[in-house]
Amino acid sequence: MQADTAGPRKEMSQGMLAVLFSAPAVLIIASTILVPFGIAVFLSLHRWNLKRPGREKFIGLENYIDWLGDSDFWGPLQTTITFAIGSVVVILVVSLLVALLLNEEFPGRGVLRAMLLIPWAIPSVVNALLWKWLLNPQYGLVNAVALELGIITEYQNVLGSMPSVMIWLIIAYAWIHIPLATLLLLSGLQTIPDDIYESAIVDGAGIWQRFAFITFPLLRPMLSIVIIFEMIFALKVFDIIFVLTAGGPANATNVLGWQIYTETFRKLDFGAGSSIAMLLGAITLGLAIIFYVFLDRGRQVE
Amino acid sequence: MKQHARIRLVVIYVSAAVLMIGTVGPFLWLVSSSFQYERQLLSRPPQWLPNPVVLDSYREIFEGALLGEESGVPYQSRIFLRSFGNSFLVAGSVAAIAVMAGAYAAYPLARLDFRGRSTLLFGILASRLIPGLSLAIPIVLVARQIGMSDRIITLVFINLSFILPYVIWLLQSYFKSIPMELEDAGRIDGCSRLQVVNRIILPLALPGLTSAAILAFMLSWGEFLFALLLAETPASYTSTVIVSLFATDVDVNYVSIITAGVISVIPPICFALIFQRFIISGLLSGSLKG
Repeated sequence: MQADTAGPRKEMSQGMLAVLFSAPAVLIIASTILVPFGIAVFLSLHRWNLKRPGREKFIGLENYIDWLGDSDFWGPLQTTITFAIGSVVVILVVSLLVALLLNEEFPGRGVLRAMLLIPWAIPSVVNALLWKWLLNPQYGLVNAVALELGIITEYQNVLGSMPSVMIWLIIAYAWIHIPLATLLLLSGLQTIPDDIYESAIVDGAGIWQRFAFITFPLLRPMLSIVIIFEMIFALKVFDIIFVLTAGGPANATNVLGWQIYTETFRKLDFGAGSSIAMLLGAITLGLAIIFYVFLDRGRQVE
Repeated sequence: MKQHARIRLVVIYVSAAVLMIGTVGPFLWLVSSSFQYERQLLSRPPQWLPNPVVLDSYREIFEGALLGEESGVPYQSRIFLRSFGNSFLVAGSVAAIAVMAGAYAAYPLARLDFRGRSTLLFGILASRLIPGLSLAIPIVLVARQIGMSDRIITLVFINLSFILPYVIWLLQSYFKSIPMELEDAGRIDGCSRLQVVNRIILPLALPGLTSAAILAFMLSWGEFLFALLLAETPASYTSTVIVSLFATDVDVNYVSIITAGVISVIPPICFALIFQRFIISGLLSGSLKG
């Protein structure tokens, strides 16, 4: 209160104010992101294995060169990309269909939209537990339903073999990621004015034509955002792998996230772990940029 | 035309039913399983609804927490409630601090004119592109070195750094929607910038702050990687860590595992349903306005 009555006083410059106001947040972010990032780069350039203390040594790019010549990098990379593409496609297709449904007006739409938040709210680890139970080879509900419907004749261990393990991993992962993508696409759909559709109907455009020539082009910016976000998330998948498959069976779901984890926290090779983690970071960033440029250019051409 | 409208409704409600089963079904099955006897769970065909409703697994968790080893329940069940409390402590602290620190950081980004503003905003957002796994290695190493691993406060700090960029982004876009005139009026009355923020912006931004706090709580509640890597004893286990310990342990019976899963999603699901308006507006403004 005193400051109010002190009369006119010198105001700080806006830059100074900005520094003061944002200092706590920036310090927190810097100390747990920038500093560790620097240390991670440092570690990746060293031989640094906790099982062999006292033999840390600067080795330049050797860790990276080793990885690039190692099938333990290319195998998981291929698995990661398979998983990421599969997840993005499933998430995109399902959430687009759901968003189109929720964009229609009908009684009960609000309830349905609220229910979407249930999968979204479930932590990834609990989601993995849920699907582990659903897919249980002896007692799983998925087996029971499939048997009832006559799709299978006996219970299957879908997490025990390829390619079913990858398919179900993608479904389980997509299940909690679809809601957010749906809400984003729905908000994109709602920005499209109704009169465009009305005049298209007058001109005799059918459902499919309206989708292809109005909805899809106008939704494209939002689709790009969803693709980029989901791609980045899927490339660093870890939680669900930890609980559901642990990289198995026989490395079938050994994604880069899991490879980094085992290399670092099971083999305790922090140098090798850091360098492969850097490679994953670079791939993520690179793909994000490529997608951004590619999708953005596509938008400008139109 | 009437025929057409009827077909439309049929298509809509059939898809809505499929969607409903797909969204809520798996979760309801988890809940239903948690109220059954182990032997009922292992029956074929499965028993859809619990009959009778069995509360044993829930009681086990409370007894285990109270009596410790004497209760004879599995280790994970005994420490579950404590980890549940830890999750609350971590997520609650993260939400409170993230909104406070985030609001002050978001204000200059939304309203002040200074050199490096867009760089600051870009830097804050770009920090989220680095995969947590590549930061996890040095963070765990340093935390162990300085004796900070296995502590709740470390987890709060780390979760904050991942959640803050998101909160800042959300709040700065919310602040921009507050009419400038209100702020100008305060300035004419002689308020300093700090007073403008505290007395005008923050009260008006209450819905935005609520969205941010809820989202921060939920993101922090579900965090797993760092909780797993930094925890060494039950003192700092969060509920996601216990669930993962349960889920990867073959000796524990299914009902206990499932019950732990159900209890640990109660807070986020209640939040999601109670605050759905705030959450949906937060999710959309957080990622929409670019």
